[in-house]
Amino acid sequence: MRRTSSTYLRALVLGCALAPLFAGAQETANRSSSSGIHRETTVPVIESGAWKGPRLSDGQPDVQGHWSNTIANHNNLTDPQGGVPGDPTGRVAKGPRESRAPSRVSDPPDGQVPFQPWARAKQQEFLEFFHNPIKPEYIEPLARCAPAGVPKSFTWHGFEIRQYPGYVLLLFNSGTRIVHLDGKPHLPEDIKLWNADSRGRWEGNTLIVDVRNNNAKARFARTGEFASENVHIVERYIFDNNGHRFNYVATITDPTVFTRPWTVTIPMRRYTEADEPDGWHFEVAFANHPKGERIIERYERICVENNGPFGQVAVQR
Amino acid sequence: MAEAFDSGRGSVAHARHRTGAMVAMLSLICMPFAAFAGEKIPRLPSGKPDFSGIWQTTSAADFDLEPHGPRKDAPPSPGVVEGGKIPYLPAALEKRKRNFERRFTDDPRLKCWTLGTPRGIYYPEPFQIFQRERDLTIVFQFGHSVRTIHTNGTLHPEEEHEFWLGDSRGHWEGDTLVVDVRDFTDETWLDRSGNFHSTALHVVERWRFLDANTIEYRATLEDPNVFSRPWTLAVHLHRHREPNFQLIENYCYTLDYEQYYPFPKGE
Repeated sequence: MRRTSSTYLRALVLGCALAPLFAGAQETANRSSSSGIHRETTVPVIESGAWKGPRLSDGQPDVQGHWSNTIANHNNLTDPQGGVPGDPTGRVAKGPRESRAPSRVSDPPDGQVPFQPWARAKQQEFLEFFHNPIKPEYIEPLARCAPAGVPKSFTWHGFEIRQYPGYVLLLFNSGTRIVHLDGKPHLPEDIKLWNADSRGRWEGNTLIVDVRNNNAKARFARTGEFASENVHIVERYIFDNNGHRFNYVATITDPTVFTRPWTVTIPMRRYTEADEPDGWHFEVAFANHPKGERIIERYERICVENNGPFGQVAVQR
Repeated sequence: MAEAFDSGRGSVAHARHRTGAMVAMLSLICMPFAAFAGEKIPRLPSGKPDFSGIWQTTSAADFDLEPHGPRKDAPPSPGVVEGGKIPYLPAALEKRKRNFERRFTDDPRLKCWTLGTPRGIYYPEPFQIFQRERDLTIVFQFGHSVRTIHTNGTLHPEEEHEFWLGDSRGHWEGDTLVVDVRDFTDETWLDRSGNFHSTALHVVERWRFLDANTIEYRATLEDPNVFSRPWTLAVHLHRHREPNFQLIENYCYTLDYEQYYPFPKGE
């Protein structure tokens, strides 16, 4: 069966070019111990305030372009550089906890998700069986090409922001979000979606997005954290005026699962023409331009049809 | 004139066929009647037509591109192919007949696979166009797949690809967006009746406003492995104007395994 889709070709080309850094395609890059994923250990402070940078014709701050998180992938929510506990291949945390980046849970201060006891037990069950998925529910949906959901998409490869009057478009490796800025009401609550339903507005340098209608099927990390369909997420994308960074700060409220609202913080950096594509954070190509101008392009992302590399054997043809 | 010169620059992708100056002249000659008639259509700040919006065909094109009477699986339709029939090569026509017989199991749509180009455009679910000077982004409700049409003078990639939606390079001829699409996989069908193509498919699309809320969409398909000559289909696309209408993501390939991810409930 021919498998020469763009994803594969890209993976092959990059895999060859970057062999010392990436021994293969996505799944290997995902083993962050090989340094494919940038591993900063701190979260910069970016205050909400005025926007002094460039604006689009409709007045939105212009934050278009390519971005990715600076810490680690989605292996672990509360010890992002700690790997997935119980990893049978030994890719687990080394050294003291303090040597690694802080928990993505920035509130409560202890860095832990404030689960109700039954929900904590369920999360521990998901984690225990992550490496030994004896039931279908233990296979992470992303491995079947489902969208990574909110907020996990921000720790799964780089992503692109495109902006239009009335809209912010978020193009992820797996899944796409349309953020509506026109104030229309949310979808009827009976409709539940992988990437939920997003309503945004700008306040100075901060994009504030109200997220409802979540189907709660995409978990927050491989460590098994989850919410219910009742979850309400308020995201704040706080952009640094220099255009290089933003912090993603999401407050998650769900009385069905948690004892109190809690907050996830994910720091991001921008990738530009000056960066080299790396197959993970910066999964792009440079356009074929007649005058050789260096223009970034994003090829189509088609997962389930290609049956791999990450979704390998997850879907039978 | 500025717009005409822009059109010339936008056609760099096809420089081997014609010079920018010629295109500039043609742009003026071929400018759609609507523009002269003063029909108001949405435009970008640059003056180019602005196709932003949510669109959908009311045609029966996706059921069967060719003329067909009533069937249990398709509403009748005179077809959307100019000249009526698709000019298949003999061997390809046999395959198309086999596809038709197996259409209830073999149509890639049934697996919710990305529909391809042009099928995504006339599939009976809405799609949304987001437009900038440098590109048009099409988000299809079905599968929530994303297609980018580049309008910044860039060319097809030098290396070969097998994209599900093809590689799309557009330029303006007056108020008509002309898009050259290549680099296809052969795993998509053109409709649910089994019309098909190979990886050699080459599509040239022409998008133009008939009025502010209607687009005429034409696609000329060429594929020397399957068709005896290029042929053209045409559909109208209508703007969704219902209050608060929006796309609802339809990652329908997840429906078969959603059952495994129920919200875990407490005791």
